[in-house]
Amino acid sequence: MEFKYDKHNKYHRFARSACITVISLIVFVWVWWIIARVTVNPAIPDPFLTFDALFDLIENGDSITGLSLGTYVKASLTKFIYGFLLALVVALPLGLLLGNFKILREFLTPWIEVLRPIAPIAWAPVFILLYGYKEGAMLVVFIGIFFPLLTNIIFGVTKIDPVLVDASKTLGASNLQIFLKVLIPSTVPYLMNGVKVGLGIGWMCIVAAELYATPLGGIGFYVANMITYGAFPEAFAGIIVIAVLGLLTTSLAEYVSKIVSKRMGIDA
Amino acid sequence: MTEKIKIEGKKWSKERVRADRTDELYAHIPEGETLMSIDDLRVVYVTDDSETVAVDNFTLDVKKGELVSIVGPSGCGKTTILRCIAGLLQPTSGKVLMGDKECTSPGSDRGMVFQDFALFPWRSVKKNVEFGMEVAGVPKAEREERAMRYIKAVGLEKFANSRIHELSGGMKQRVGIARALVMHPAVILMDEPFGALDAQTRNIMQEQLDKIITHSERTIIFVTHSVDEALYLSDRVVILSKRPSTIFKVVDVPWPRPRDRTNPEFGALRKQILQYLEEQNVMDD
Repeated sequence: MEFKYDKHNKYHRFARSACITVISLIVFVWVWWIIARVTVNPAIPDPFLTFDALFDLIENGDSITGLSLGTYVKASLTKFIYGFLLALVVALPLGLLLGNFKILREFLTPWIEVLRPIAPIAWAPVFILLYGYKEGAMLVVFIGIFFPLLTNIIFGVTKIDPVLVDASKTLGASNLQIFLKVLIPSTVPYLMNGVKVGLGIGWMCIVAAELYATPLGGIGFYVANMITYGAFPEAFAGIIVIAVLGLLTTSLAEYVSKIVSKRMGIDA
Repeated sequence: MTEKIKIEGKKWSKERVRADRTDELYAHIPEGETLMSIDDLRVVYVTDDSETVAVDNFTLDVKKGELVSIVGPSGCGKTTILRCIAGLLQPTSGKVLMGDKECTSPGSDRGMVFQDFALFPWRSVKKNVEFGMEVAGVPKAEREERAMRYIKAVGLEKFANSRIHELSGGMKQRVGIARALVMHPAVILMDEPFGALDAQTRNIMQEQLDKIITHSERTIIFVTHSVDEALYLSDRVVILSKRPSTIFKVVDVPWPRPRDRTNPEFGALRKQILQYLEEQNVMDD
């Protein structure tokens, strides 16, 4: 039987992109293998050694500290989630206020513009010194997520369609009702955009901040610790775990934002 | 926009009429008597180095139960006038009176239908129609029942739970009309409601609106730049002059509904109005 690719068939399209992804990953590992062979440096381990270390990590945990992979992942994710929630709780009301009141926005813009370009990880030593390893790392995540979230919410509020506000007024809505029933829903897709960008940055922050941290510090600590012991395949295995978890969080955010945008009928 | 409206006299209030069924407030005014008077409206736009008079000396009495349309070329200030009546724009001077009360803010007593629909994209058709009743505090059961009745009246019962982006332009505007009608406002303002629709849909919508107004006593101010549309729908046609907009002529349309566009009388009156418009070299449509 002759197979013919039909680009209008959704299963064909899915199979096609899945094939390309698999081939791409195989080529990736192959290139990695070549680099490892050519450099002959223990700091760049062979992919197969790394995979062995990865399976060992999944099965037996960290051979040095005796902690399981689950413990590390849980430690990282907890800090990540708290940092994210804190950013959301602070950025949402602040963004709505700043978007609504021009004078407040003009007043605080210099603050934002001074603080925003600072790499979140630059705060890590300060926060860890002030608040300890756990809360300090969480605050680094908070900083990483906070600014993209805030700027997106402010942008969303200022982008509201003035005709919708007019329509609400002629239907008798008070300013408070307009705020609750029109302004907030119309900001949601922008908020989701901020969440998407913020989660990516936040995940980078958590791992980087953990490089400073103590044993219960999470997956970032595992990588740093393995490198100090010269266990490079184990360190690389940790990096793979970080990559996979990062990919999962951003895909989840992407998926949720797609659903929300569809539901809200607006594309931000 | 750097344009600003010049305003003389006192500031407008922030109070907004939020009641449902505001037409009952004016039940004591008999059909055919003046319900709304627009008194010497003047709107001046100010930019850094110039002042433009957009509307001047606009005085009009709107009778209860009639449909008055305002025609004139695009950009002549029709929408500006309607926005002043709606309370979305404070005029430089002049007053809009409902009964004997001055309107100094937007409110549910003057419902509005917008050219670009202005529907809430995150709400379903039904929820859009319910919006006004929701802010007026109408109980949920009554809200739903009334919303469904009006959605049926505009022929969208199959789409009650659809989202706005799933609808065609004509369907969207039917939601806009239902959303305004369901509140029973004292006056309905329509700002080129069919302007964004294709000719075919436009005709169908005109017929539907005609049916709705024949069966219910509604007071409507209808802005359009189509003379044909104005003649098909209205009891009176107000012809505006070019900028600054002032009333050039008011033409009564005496025929019963539904009207026949192919009627020679219809054609003659249309020709006459087009001539008026042409006389002041503001032909459009």
